[in-house]
Amino acid sequence: MRPVAPPIPLCYNAARMITKRQLGIIVILLTLIGMAGIVGVDVVGAGEWGGFGPLQQIGAGVGVAGILAGVILILRGNRPA
Amino acid sequence: MNSNLSRILKGIGAFLAAVAILAYLGYLFVFVLYAVDLFQWPFDYDQGEGFELYDAILYSRGEWPYKDNAVYPFYASNYPPLFHLLIIPLLPVFGPYVVAGRVVSFVATLVIGGTIFFVVRRKVKGWFIPLVSGLAFFASSHVYQTGPLCRMHMTMVMFETLAVAFIAGFDHPKHGTRNLILGLVMLFCAGYTKQMAVFTVIAALSYIFLRDVKKAIVSGVALTVVVGAVFWLLNAATDGQWWVNTIQANVNEFKYLQTIFFLNQWFRLHPLLILLAAVYLVYELFWDRLSVYSLWFFFAMGTGLLSGKWGAGFNYFTTAIAAACITSGLALGRLQKAASRRRTLDEQAQSFLDTTVASASLASGAALGRLKGLLGRRAAAQPLRDAASSAASATRFSPKRAWHLSQSRLHKLQPWTAPLLAIIIPLLYLLQASLMLHMPTSGPVFGPLARAFGVADKLVLVEGEAHCRTYQYHDSMGYTQLGHLLVEEDYAAGGEILAYVLTSDGPVFSEEAMFSLLAGEPVVTNPTQLRNLYLNGSLDTTDIVGRINRQEFGVVIFRARFYPDPVLVAIGQNYTTVETVCMNSFKYDILLPNRLLVDSQAP
Repeated sequence: MRPVAPPIPLCYNAARMITKRQLGIIVILLTLIGMAGIVGVDVVGAGEWGGFGPLQQIGAGVGVAGILAGVILILRGNRPA
Repeated sequence: MNSNLSRILKGIGAFLAAVAILAYLGYLFVFVLYAVDLFQWPFDYDQGEGFELYDAILYSRGEWPYKDNAVYPFYASNYPPLFHLLIIPLLPVFGPYVVAGRVVSFVATLVIGGTIFFVVRRKVKGWFIPLVSGLAFFASSHVYQTGPLCRMHMTMVMFETLAVAFIAGFDHPKHGTRNLILGLVMLFCAGYTKQMAVFTVIAALSYIFLRDVKKAIVSGVALTVVVGAVFWLLNAATDGQWWVNTIQANVNEFKYLQTIFFLNQWFRLHPLLILLAAVYLVYELFWDRLSVYSLWFFFAMGTGLLSGKWGAGFNYFTTAIAAACITSGLALGRLQKAASRRRTLDEQAQSFLDTTVASASLASGAALGRLKGLLGRRAAAQPLRDAASSAASATRFSPKRAWHLSQSRLHKLQPWTAPLLAIIIPLLYLLQASLMLHMPTSGPVFGPLARAFGVADKLVLVEGEAHCRTYQYHDSMGYTQLGHLLVEEDYAAGGEILAYVLTSDGPVFSEEAMFSLLAGEPVVTNPTQLRNLYLNGSLDTTDIVGRINRQEFGVVIFRARFYPDPVLVAIGQNYTTVETVCMNSFKYDILLPNRLLVDSQAP
């Protein structure tokens, strides 16, 4: 009788893992929190520059990239992240 | 494809691979040469080395280095203890000399390169890519310059690299728990070597979170509890000085332009490693599963972005370099594999299961029900629609399918792609090697080599206002205070300064600790620590200024005048520069108390 090959082991627990869609939501939420912080710096009057400073501009640029990445991840659906 | 042409291409590829390995072995040789040169140098090469050694000496005596900076000897350490504790076993071997710490860092650097090799070797077929990935770490100018210094940074990166290597296997069916525990222990060690390891902790826990939310929460809580308990114990044992010296004293001003400068320098020196790592990160993020290595590379850039802090330097990018060495190797291995289509049946079946089982499992609703409250997933209420969507997606356009389509096209070109890649990959590594060029430019071996490379007259340190000696050394990064070999004049200068210390009639007030340690004198002051605490409003300078005003210190040695303003003003009023000595290209001002000079001028 031919020996039965062992099943290929699944190296993750599907019930506990994060999908691309969920990761996208997390990325967008974190980015929004970060961008709120960037704007909030001016509200509380911290920072070296008056108005929207260069660090804030860099942060806003990174934030836009983060949201874009998050949207693409959401579109990737239920694939494992 | 013509078999002769195929043989020729493979031959060229093998030749280029041999040249690339030779080039990177050359960098390893330069690194070892530099390390051996530093092992013989008894004084500080980089400001701060002596203080690290002194911390180890204090621990070996059973004393804490976290003390009140306002009280004599006005000394405290601003780093966690692990690196210093690792030096202690070497003190009986090497004595209380800085070589003990340099050996620890050197070995740590070798361990990092070795770990990179093993990690890439596990994932990539063949020897060339894993070998060059490991050697590329030593070839980086940033790594070369700081690898053999008695500073804790490389030891932290070693623990980070080991942690990531273990965490990568946390879901191993047999050794998963062991790997996870070892990974967490390494993260603990990295954090208690240097505080900056926090970014690697985030990367590792994020990776676990993506694959197993429950394990990530348990691991994160366990690590936080242990780290917090040790933190509390250290703070209690030092009457709160642990907090003041390792946290408060490290809150410095941040200059974003400095970060941009170092970011630009990092990219300019390692463009191919970084671009390959970045492309691999994007590929994994959108079309495959994120590996811990890509996440590490991403978060390690956060460490690099902190390089704008006062006192920070290019070494803040070392973690990102280690991660880039790994991920670039994995990227090239992946490319090689795609071209040769050597996916095994198991791998293809695993890839199929990755998508179908995950979708079906999630669509079953059990997992989604748990995640619904947390993430508000619309699909949680409609598992069947998700399952249908997953099934339907099999017929829609997707980048992954485009990737597979291109792979199948590549498959048709298979006779060409594999031999061409065998040429392109070594060429890429050779191009990267040329961008990191650093080497001594004199001597029987390096002199002709430097002339051949056209860098014989490109010296890094030139005599001028800031520096006082020229070294026969070239580095692609441009201006740097590190990396050159020491010359006889440096040893003579060190002896000259030491003579002042040995004849001093009081404690030595020096910006570098090794002069005091070599003379058997107590180490007085840690200048950057005093400066940072003073600027943060956490230092009372009454006692130190009083002692300076009373001219209690027998000699003052300045290199960079990092001390707080009141200290510098008091020294200016009570001490006079008697000589400026050029050592290791820096100008060391020797100041004696006015009382001695007045006495000597008296009839």
